[in-house]
Amino acid sequence: MTTTLGPADYPLSVRRPDLLRTPTGTPLSDVTMAAVVAGDITNEDLRVSPETLQMQGEISDAVGRRQLAENMRRAAELTAVPDEEVLAIYNALRPRASSRQRLTEIAERLESVHAAPLCAALVRESAEVYEARDLLAPEGE
Amino acid sequence: MTGPTTASLREVGPAARGTRPDEVVIAVSPAFADFFTRTIVDVPHAEVLRQVMAGVEEQGVTSRLIRVWDTADLAAIAHTGAKLSGSGICVGLLSRGTTMIHQKDLARLSNLELFPQSPLLDAAVFRGIGANAAQYAKGESPEPVPTRNDQMARPRWQAKAALLHLKEFDRIRAGVKPVEVVLESAPSLAG
Amino acid sequence: MTSTLPSSGAAAGPRTSKRTEMLESRPVNLDGFVEEWPEKGLVAMESDFDPAPSIRVENGVIVELDGRPRAEFDFMDTFIADHAIDVDVAERANAVPSDEIARMLVNPTVGRGEVLDLTRGLTPAKLLDVVKLMNVVEIMMAMQKMRARRMPANQAHSTSARDNPIQVAADAAEGALRGFAELETTLGVLRYAPLVAIGLQIGAQAGRGGVITQCALEEATELDLGMRGITGYAETISVYGTESVFVDGDDTPWSKAFLASAYASRGIKMRFTSGTGSEVQMGNAEGRSMLYLEIRCILMAKGAGVQGLQNGSISCIGVPGAVPGGIRAVAAENLVCNMLDLECAAGNDQSFSHSAMRRTSRLMPQMLPGQDLVCSGFSAVPNSDNMFAGSNLDVEDYDDWNTVQRDLQVDGGLRHVRSEEILAVRNRAARALQAVFAELDLPRITDDEVEAATYADSSADYPLREVLEDLKGAQSVMDRGVTGLDLVKILERTGFSDIAENYLQVLRQRVSGDLLQTSAILDADFVPQAAINDANDYAGPGTGYRLTGERWAELKRLRHVTSAENPEEEVS
Repeated sequence: MTTTLGPADYPLSVRRPDLLRTPTGTPLSDVTMAAVVAGDITNEDLRVSPETLQMQGEISDAVGRRQLAENMRRAAELTAVPDEEVLAIYNALRPRASSRQRLTEIAERLESVHAAPLCAALVRESAEVYEARDLLAPEGE
Repeated sequence: MTGPTTASLREVGPAARGTRPDEVVIAVSPAFADFFTRTIVDVPHAEVLRQVMAGVEEQGVTSRLIRVWDTADLAAIAHTGAKLSGSGICVGLLSRGTTMIHQKDLARLSNLELFPQSPLLDAAVFRGIGANAAQYAKGESPEPVPTRNDQMARPRWQAKAALLHLKEFDRIRAGVKPVEVVLESAPSLAG
Repeated sequence: MTSTLPSSGAAAGPRTSKRTEMLESRPVNLDGFVEEWPEKGLVAMESDFDPAPSIRVENGVIVELDGRPRAEFDFMDTFIADHAIDVDVAERANAVPSDEIARMLVNPTVGRGEVLDLTRGLTPAKLLDVVKLMNVVEIMMAMQKMRARRMPANQAHSTSARDNPIQVAADAAEGALRGFAELETTLGVLRYAPLVAIGLQIGAQAGRGGVITQCALEEATELDLGMRGITGYAETISVYGTESVFVDGDDTPWSKAFLASAYASRGIKMRFTSGTGSEVQMGNAEGRSMLYLEIRCILMAKGAGVQGLQNGSISCIGVPGAVPGGIRAVAAENLVCNMLDLECAAGNDQSFSHSAMRRTSRLMPQMLPGQDLVCSGFSAVPNSDNMFAGSNLDVEDYDDWNTVQRDLQVDGGLRHVRSEEILAVRNRAARALQAVFAELDLPRITDDEVEAATYADSSADYPLREVLEDLKGAQSVMDRGVTGLDLVKILERTGFSDIAENYLQVLRQRVSGDLLQTSAILDADFVPQAAINDANDYAGPGTGYRLTGERWAELKRLRHVTSAENPEEEVS
């Protein structure tokens, strides 16, 4: 059974360490100096997992921070997207950097490959606005 | 003794593309030596031009003056001048003194050397800028002109720089092509 | 000219009095001041050219914002309407008279939450209309209640004119020990970044475990260093109040919102940066006042879901600083940031005035009521070493700051620390960095350099480094993919277990995501303190954050205080 987290659960690292795991599944309590020295911890372990971001989003929502919660949920989706692709999408969202077609392709890829519908929606929305404001890439680029 | 002089730039026709590979174009902004007569720290525009031109000439290169009317963006002014320059090199100047050396094959937002801190540009720096531009025109790679930094330039000059920029914007003539100009210095009436 | 006119000796012109000469020579007259030009946006916050507030909602969509129908929205209007403003309360909130909202802001019996329930629905022009009614004391009253975190904190710059990583480490250690919760650096030569960022992190953890660090760079490198765990947060993500300036900066609200999610996806704390004056400085204010445009930036940040904002004019402070009421507007922009429930890193971070009196008065509106971060860059190095182009405060002001805290019983986030403790952490930071450089085969840090770092004031007090060798080393750090975890291991095996443990604790925060919540910082026990578990609960006199108990006892100490017990001695 799951219950929604709230302000009493914050900080998770102090109040609910039992809920926290690294993206590789290691419990946070196992991220110790002894484990680091033994080579059991990698840099990949020291990242946030999508589940944790969802939990932080629940807390943000519970204290009335809707937009912050939405950002946590988009972030949860992006945990699966490689660093280079994240930077490439960011660059594609710059003004006059992308055609409508390219933005649509990015949105589709976010949805189908990365299961990231919220990020896809943000990209689709940008395409609409860029078209209206003449901020798509000039024809032929 | 003669008093300080004000520059006057007389238009002599449309600015054409230069044919001499040994020329540097000096491109000035809409209000330069026009609505404004001095840089932000009161270096007379006539003096600025004389120093830049002297710097160019001491390298055995000639200079040609143009005025850009349709923008007050320094990168755009300098890039416009570079495209009209026989050597592809241009020194762009804003009224407040901000200066850039540009080259026609670079991206507009790039440059060879930028001198953003207009309050720190004096006659010697302007002469050095002219000399460096001429050396680029000859295909050389000069050491960049040394510039100073002053943390207290912000409180003293930032707002005035913004004001001068707004005034410069007001003198833009949209759609008007660059013109070739000649420097005619006249003794100032101010005593 | 005739010889009968009064003359003041060598100087031409009419004779002036000794009094005038004295005043002319005062530092304040080196500052620049200009008249307003509202048509062009060269005006702080009171302009006839700002729009009147209005809002219309149809089928849950905002179809009119501040007099503009949806068909005419620029991208800022669209983003604010669709993401920032809470549509469910918008029409009700905007219908409340501005003076009523302004009074709620200063009335201590009205809780912060009650105010937020209205402000989350307000339009940019309505927010402006509210704060325009408030004088600077009322703005400070409101800030005291509306800032997100209960306990104020402070942030420092640790940089070096020579990009010397040992200096950055030593000054970071001292800064951390003196109380800064966050430390940031930047570079003269950008390629030095990995070494300087490592110096900053190790120095910070040597000074006080849990201080978080950042290195201001272009987005891609900044994110890269963050993802490797070499830095811990980011804040140089600039946003602007007009579409044209935003586009000139090669970004849009959507690109920046995506970037916000990217940082959060790696567990890295992030805030945006904006400030009054940036748009008019770039010549594209579209005829709006500086504060109106800044309010659009704050709403944009809110809409992006970023937890906080660095504002307070920042690098444009010379512009509002030069017009009438400009510093009131800068205080108001911090307040609006608080009113939108964002963390506020409140400025006071750039050289502002030649006058010590003006420098102080500029910082009172943030220091007295308290802010999440009172300065978003108190220079923890001499201003001559400050690569952010100088701050409003620098190391020369440490003792003055501590004295002002003691005089007014106000917590500005710092404390006096005895010289021997400072020397100890500076030395330890430099030695730890020496060990790390040796283990990573980076250019050697000599014992002379460690000695210099222990006792130095500025970069001039250090032996010169072989810059080209350092830059090669910096590149190799990037090429080899050195991570924060590698640094922890090195520190652990070279006898700096305490620093290693502190660093590991900071890295563990990325797993928990706790620092992603609003206004989160880490206390000395590595407990995240955010506007959730340390939410501002100010409700009038005797409530909210009070400087009492142990902390007050700590702030009573200064460099020289005469002992009451034995007046022939000093306590410190």
